[in-house]
Amino acid sequence: MAVYKIMIIEDDPLIRSELKNMLCGSGYDAVTVSDFGRTVEEIKKEAPQLILLDVKLPGENGFSLCSRIRTFSNVPIVFVTSCNTDMDELNSIMLGGDAYITKPYNTAILLAKIASLLKRAYPTEGREVISYRGTLLHLENGSLEFDGQQVDLTKNELKILYYLYKNAGRICSRSDLIDFLWDNRLYVDDNALSVNVNRIREKMAGIGLTDFIKTKHRQGYMI
Amino acid sequence: MNGKLYWKQKALLLFLHGCGMAALALFLRFNGENADSIILILAVWGTVLTVSLLTTYFTRKAQMDKLLALAGQLEERYLLPEMMERPVRADDQVYYQLLRLAGKSMLEQVSAIKHEQAEYREFIEQWVHEIKTPVTAMKLICENHRSDFSKDLLTELEKINSYTEQVLYYARSEHPEKDYLVREIRLFDVVHQAIAENKYLLLQHHIQIDLAETDDTVYSDEKWLCFILNQMIVNAVKYRTPSPTIWFYVEHTGNGITLCIADNGIGIRAGDLPRIFEKGFTGENGRNTSQAATGMGLYLCKRLCDKLDIGLTAASNGRTVFKLSFHINDFIHQVQS
Repeated sequence: MAVYKIMIIEDDPLIRSELKNMLCGSGYDAVTVSDFGRTVEEIKKEAPQLILLDVKLPGENGFSLCSRIRTFSNVPIVFVTSCNTDMDELNSIMLGGDAYITKPYNTAILLAKIASLLKRAYPTEGREVISYRGTLLHLENGSLEFDGQQVDLTKNELKILYYLYKNAGRICSRSDLIDFLWDNRLYVDDNALSVNVNRIREKMAGIGLTDFIKTKHRQGYMI
Repeated sequence: MNGKLYWKQKALLLFLHGCGMAALALFLRFNGENADSIILILAVWGTVLTVSLLTTYFTRKAQMDKLLALAGQLEERYLLPEMMERPVRADDQVYYQLLRLAGKSMLEQVSAIKHEQAEYREFIEQWVHEIKTPVTAMKLICENHRSDFSKDLLTELEKINSYTEQVLYYARSEHPEKDYLVREIRLFDVVHQAIAENKYLLLQHHIQIDLAETDDTVYSDEKWLCFILNQMIVNAVKYRTPSPTIWFYVEHTGNGITLCIADNGIGIRAGDLPRIFEKGFTGENGRNTSQAATGMGLYLCKRLCDKLDIGLTAASNGRTVFKLSFHINDFIHQVQS
């Protein structure tokens, strides 16, 4: 999978560095701009795949910057701002912004927006499959394959397995897992999570996978 | 004009005229005039006096009634001095001048206060936007360094956000038409958004969420609707009972669609129910829970709903249910298709 380069144009140094940490932690390559006099040159030089653009910037504001970027590039632009007036939102759409997020943003929502914009702007060929220890998790049709046998998963089960596969080899605490599921619109509590995991285990046993998901006592799950 | 009072104030004049008549009658009598001519003279005097007094009374009364009627018609009564005709009588003109002076100084005051208020509102809005930067920074720091400790902080940050939003929407609710973006929105997308904004609050209190998700759409302003749902969720968490659950579901009515938010919290007393949307009303629940109730949340919701033309009703009967009813406007579909 290609690593996308995301450029952060934000004047608050703390937010800038934390945003960079977060994006790097989510598997993106993040670059920042600190000299706002030469933003456009920076963009041309770095050629990012996506831009996070603050509206309030010293000197030139985000809107006029956006229309300048649009003269030479179609890179997806996400406006990030603390002004949530509808006028601003309208402006951002009119000037060629692709998304508009208000502070304080939910990081999960921000990441989801970024992911969906990247997916739309740079469609990847090939099917999305994650493999681990001889099993294949097919994301597009929601099924698990092992040893030539397949079993269908529900949407919720797929979400749980996706998180475990993404963190394969590491212990996933129950609360982090629940956190992730809530970010993905699955509002489960502790009990429901156990029920779901048990159901996945049963399905796995059906295709000959036993003891694949381990329970770490008082810590969480691990594959 | 009070007639009785008017004549009472004319008493001295009448008395003096009476004295004058008596003195004249005596004087003529001593000069040897006969009774007939004295009576005639007195009668003429009396008639002239009566006619002049009555005409002044009725013309004055007509003038005053006209002014009262004018004041009654005016929407902004303080503009009366601008609207009335300039009076002819010398003493009336003094009153007229005084009225104009008073009105002018009041208008100056009013406009100064209006200006001050607008500035204050602007400052508040700006402040809310400024405060969001540090809140965002704190949120990012917490998200990047996850621990039980940071999750507690995130819960508190969600509260800060919801309180600052209250301030912002209160400042804006005066003129919502300046800040509207009505478009087709999927109801449950807004519900998901509102849940996401309160994720840590809901997780911390182990609230179960029960969604009967549908693809229904309405035409409304997403941001405002999200704010309203936010307040409902915060309330449901505030007044929860053990094993709390919040239900979101949609009901279809004849010419509309209703989004229902139900919870199994402590409920609202029947006596309090009619007043919960009043400003500053906290009721039995607000006094009894350890949580501080401001009486602003629901008031703001109602106010915004009124401006957005969304029906907002509450019922508490086992479950507490808030219903947001939207009109389905066929006209929009007709225009679009």
